[in-house]
Amino acid sequence: MKTQLAMVVDSTLCIDCKGCMAACKVENKVPDGHWRNWIKTDGVDFSMGETFSRMHFQPGNCMHCDVPTCVHACPTGATYKDEKDGVVKVDDRLCIGCGSCIPACPYGARYRHPEKKIVDKCDFCDHRRARGDLPACVITCPTKARAFGDINDPDSDVARMLKDNKTVRVVNRESDTRPNIYYMGATAPLNWPVKAQAPTPIRWWGDWAKQLVWAVVGINALGVLAMLGKQLFVNDPEPGHESDSTDGGKPVETEETDHE
Amino acid sequence: MSSSNINRPISRRNFLKWSGAATAAAAVGTGQPKVLHALTAAEGAAKGKDTAEKVFSICGMCLNKCGLIARVEDGVVAKLDPNPKFLKSRGMLCARGNAGIAQLYDPDRLKYPLLRKGKRGEGKWRRVSWEQALDYAAEQMKTIAEKYTRCGMLFSPGSDTQSQFVHRFASVFGSWNVVTHESNCLISRNRAYLDTFGEVPFADVLHSKYIVMAGANRFEALITPDSIDLMTARKNGQKLVVLDPRYTKTAALADEWHPVRPGTDLAFFLALAHVIINEKLYDADYVAEKLSGMEELTAHVQPYTPEWAEKETEIPARHIRRIARELAAAAPASMIYPGRRTSDYVNSTQIRRAMAIVNALLGNWDQPGGLLAARQVGLNSPSLPDAPWYDDNMMERADHGRAHMMFEEEGSFKHMRDAIIEGEPYPVKGWFTYKLNPMQSGANRAKTLKMIEGLDFMVSVDIAMSDTAWMADLVLPAPSYLERLDPISGLQGSAACACVATRVPAVPALFESRPVLWILKELANRLDLGEYFDFDMEWYRKEQLKDLPDAEKALAEDGVYYNPSKLYGIYEGKIYRTKSKKIELHNVRYKEMGLDPIPVYTPPKPIPSDKFRLVLGRNAMFTHCTTNHNRLLNQFMSENTLWIHPDSADRLGIGDGDPVVVKSPVGRESLKAELKPGIRKDTVYMASGWGALSKGLSGVHNTGACVAALMEDYADALSGNMAMHETFVSVARKGAA
Repeated sequence: MKTQLAMVVDSTLCIDCKGCMAACKVENKVPDGHWRNWIKTDGVDFSMGETFSRMHFQPGNCMHCDVPTCVHACPTGATYKDEKDGVVKVDDRLCIGCGSCIPACPYGARYRHPEKKIVDKCDFCDHRRARGDLPACVITCPTKARAFGDINDPDSDVARMLKDNKTVRVVNRESDTRPNIYYMGATAPLNWPVKAQAPTPIRWWGDWAKQLVWAVVGINALGVLAMLGKQLFVNDPEPGHESDSTDGGKPVETEETDHE
Repeated sequence: MSSSNINRPISRRNFLKWSGAATAAAAVGTGQPKVLHALTAAEGAAKGKDTAEKVFSICGMCLNKCGLIARVEDGVVAKLDPNPKFLKSRGMLCARGNAGIAQLYDPDRLKYPLLRKGKRGEGKWRRVSWEQALDYAAEQMKTIAEKYTRCGMLFSPGSDTQSQFVHRFASVFGSWNVVTHESNCLISRNRAYLDTFGEVPFADVLHSKYIVMAGANRFEALITPDSIDLMTARKNGQKLVVLDPRYTKTAALADEWHPVRPGTDLAFFLALAHVIINEKLYDADYVAEKLSGMEELTAHVQPYTPEWAEKETEIPARHIRRIARELAAAAPASMIYPGRRTSDYVNSTQIRRAMAIVNALLGNWDQPGGLLAARQVGLNSPSLPDAPWYDDNMMERADHGRAHMMFEEEGSFKHMRDAIIEGEPYPVKGWFTYKLNPMQSGANRAKTLKMIEGLDFMVSVDIAMSDTAWMADLVLPAPSYLERLDPISGLQGSAACACVATRVPAVPALFESRPVLWILKELANRLDLGEYFDFDMEWYRKEQLKDLPDAEKALAEDGVYYNPSKLYGIYEGKIYRTKSKKIELHNVRYKEMGLDPIPVYTPPKPIPSDKFRLVLGRNAMFTHCTTNHNRLLNQFMSENTLWIHPDSADRLGIGDGDPVVVKSPVGRESLKAELKPGIRKDTVYMASGWGALSKGLSGVHNTGACVAALMEDYADALSGNMAMHETFVSVARKGAA
C-alpha cells in the first residue's frame, strides 16, 4: 500500500504549552504573526459547578487530506499531494500567491507568506524527514501528544494506535476532506472546521495563470509544464488511501461533526 | 575550547537509536501504552549528507536545565531540539526552550559595555571599552569599601549556572550582603520542609496515585520532570486535586478544581490533618517510629474540623473529608505537592509547614509516589583558596534579624531593600546584579527605585536591558546560554534521574559580550584579589569531574551522565536532620524561639467590598519576567490583561477588552480587562513582566501593566520571603476612574 504519513493525536495529553508551535515556527522560519500549526481549545462551562469542570486542548496542523480541496483550488499546480508520502505540499516555484487555496482549506491551515509572496503551510517537516528526523512539533512535545508515521504500514505506531483505539477525525460535514490527523476519541473542540470555499472556476484561472507561471518559471518550464498539466487537468488526485480501512480490513471508527 | 570533542555530528543511525531509547525509557515503569513515534520510512534519509554540527547543551531559558541539541549550520544556530537521552526533561523542549534562538539573536541584546550619561533611568548611555568599564567598576567598588566597609556592596546573582562565582566574589571581596532571587520565590517552602523533614524534597509525581496541588500550577509553571510526569501519571489513573483562586490550565486538566478563598489554604490542610488523625487514617507504627510531636498535633488540630474549614476556605466540608480519606487510602503513594513559588502570604512558611505535616502523616517521605530525598551525583567541589578575612568589616548581613529564620546564603530582598533605604544598621551603597531583575520580580517597584536612588554605584550584567539594568550606572553585556562554557551541573530530576549535565557553547559569544566569570576575574585583578580567582572554566570543570572518570565521555557522547544511586529508602536506619532527629510535626526549634511550633490558623485580612485581591501566577510561555520580550514568545501573548470575573466586571461596567486602571496603595497601572469566568469574584490576576520602563525591551516597554508596581511588599515573618498576595486593588474602567 502507498505511504500515507499521518498523525494520531492524543489531545487529552496536551497541556497547551505552545512547544509545538514554537518548534515549528523556528524550524520552518514562519514569519511573525503567522503559524503553521495551532492548539485549539473548547470553552469551559461552569454551569454544572466548578469542581469537576474540564477543558480540552487540541493540537493540530495541516491535515494532509485524502480529498484536499486546496489542491483542487490551486490554479497552477503548486499545491499537490505528494504520491510518495501522501503529504500535501506547496511547490514554491509554481505558487503565484493567488491565495485561492486559503479559503479552500476547512482548517485554516494555510497563510500567505508576506515576504515570499507565496502560500505556506505544514509539510510534516519535509526537510527534517529527509535527514531522518521527526517533525519538529512531534519531537519537542513535552507529553508526546502527537504520534507520527505511515498509517498504511501495519507495523507503525500510528497504525497500531488506529487499530487499538477509537479515533475521530475533525471534519466539517459539508466538506469532508478525509483528513489524515486522527484524534483519540475524547477530543474537543469538534465544531471549528469551516466549509471549504471553492475558488473561481479553475478553467478560467487556468488560462492566465498558466501564462504567468510560464513567464516566471522560464527555463524550467518543460518540467513544470508536465506537472502543471497533471495538476490542472486531472480532476481528482487518486485517493492515496482509503481512510476507513487503515488496518487490514478492520474499520476505524470515525465521527463527523455537525457544523451548522 | 574543550567543547570541540562534543561538537561533532551525530549520525542518523545514532540519533534514531536515541529516540527509541528515550521513548522506551519514558515508558518504563509507567505501564502506559507505548506511544512511540515511528519515523517515516523517510525516502530522503539516505539522500545527501547532513553536514550540520550538533552540540549538546542544557537550556537556560528558565532554571530547569533541560537537555538540548543545538543544530548549527554554517556557524548559526538553526534549531534547538530536545536531547532524547535527557531523562530529567523527558526528551522534550517547551516553547521557551525552542525560543532560545530568539534570545541568542535578539536585536535587543546588549552588545557592548554602556556607561550612564544622563540621570538614572533616563536611558542615555555612552559606549565604553571593557577596559574603561572594568576600571570604573573596580574603582567604584574600592571607594565604597573604603568609605562604608566592604559590606557596603550588595551582590545579587540570578538563578544562573555561573551565579556561584558571584557568591564567591562577594565573599572574596568581603561582603555578607548577597541577595538572590530565592526570597522573591520559594524560600518559605524550603524553610518549611527543612524544619519538618530536615531537607527540601523532590516530589515523586510519576509514581504518586493521588496529588493535592495548592498554590502550584505545574501544567503552566513548567518544572521538569514534574510537569511531564504529572500527565503521564494522570494517564495511569492518578487523581489530581487543585486548589487555586484561578482556573489555571492545571485546574482545567485536574480531576477537581476548588476555587479556594485566597489565603485560607492553611485551614484546608489543618482540616485534612484533623480528619486523618481523628479517623486514625495513619500508620500508627510509622508515626511512633518516625514522627515527633503527634500528641501535640492531635490536640492542636481538634478545633480545625472540616466544617470549620469550610467557612474559611469555601470548600465544602464533605469534599475536605473525602479528600483526606482518599489521600490516606492512597498513602504512602499520595502527597500534598510541595510547590515552588511560595512568595504569597505573611505566613507562607506556616502554610507550607501544614502541607509538610500532612505529608508526614501520609508517611510518604522517602517512599515511591511520595517525597524524595536528594541524591548525590558525585561532583567534586574544586578547591579554591579561602576568602580573605577583613577585620574592619561588619559582622552581619544588613538584613540580619529582620526575619526570624532567614537563609544567610539567599537573604531577603524585601528586608535588604528596607535596610538600604533606612541606612540601618549600616550603609549599603553599591549594587552588583547578574541576570536578576528585581525591578520586575520584587513587589513594590517604587521602593526598588527609591533604594536605587540612594546608591552611589550600581552595575548590572545581563543579556538584555532589563528594567534593573536600565537603572544601573554601568551595564555589562553577558552572552546567552548558547554561547557559554559553564560549570558542570549536578541535577536531580525527581524519580527520573540524578545526573551530570553541562553547557557548552553552540556558537562563540556574540558582540562584545563576556561571561560573568571573566568579568569577576578582571574585577578581582583590579582589586588585588586576583589570586582568589586564579582559575579558568576548563580547569574548574575538570576538577568537578575528578571523581567521575566516565562522565566526560558520556557528556561528549550523550550530553548527559547518569550516576545510578538509590532512589527510595535512603533514610532507612538514618536520623533526620532536625532537632529531635525525627520528622517534626511539632517543631522544637520554633518553640524555643517563641514561634508557633505547629501552624496556628490566622484568617487573611478581609477584602474590602470595593476591592479585589491581586494574585500572581505563571504561564508556560514566559519565565517570570525575563522572556516576555522574546520575539517568538511575545507572539503568544503580546501584552498582559487583567483577569476579572464577568460578574465583577459587570458591576463595574467593564466589558471584555476594555482598558482599566488598577490602583493599589503603592501604584497605579493601566491594562485591558479580560473577562474570565475561571477566577473568583473577589480576586484579580495579571501576568508578570509587562509594563517595562526599559526602552531596551521592545514589545514590553510601556505595554501592559507592571504587577511589581502594584504589589505591596509584605514579607513572610519566618523566612523573609516576599508576600505578594497581600495586596488589595481597586479596578475601574479607564476614564471612569
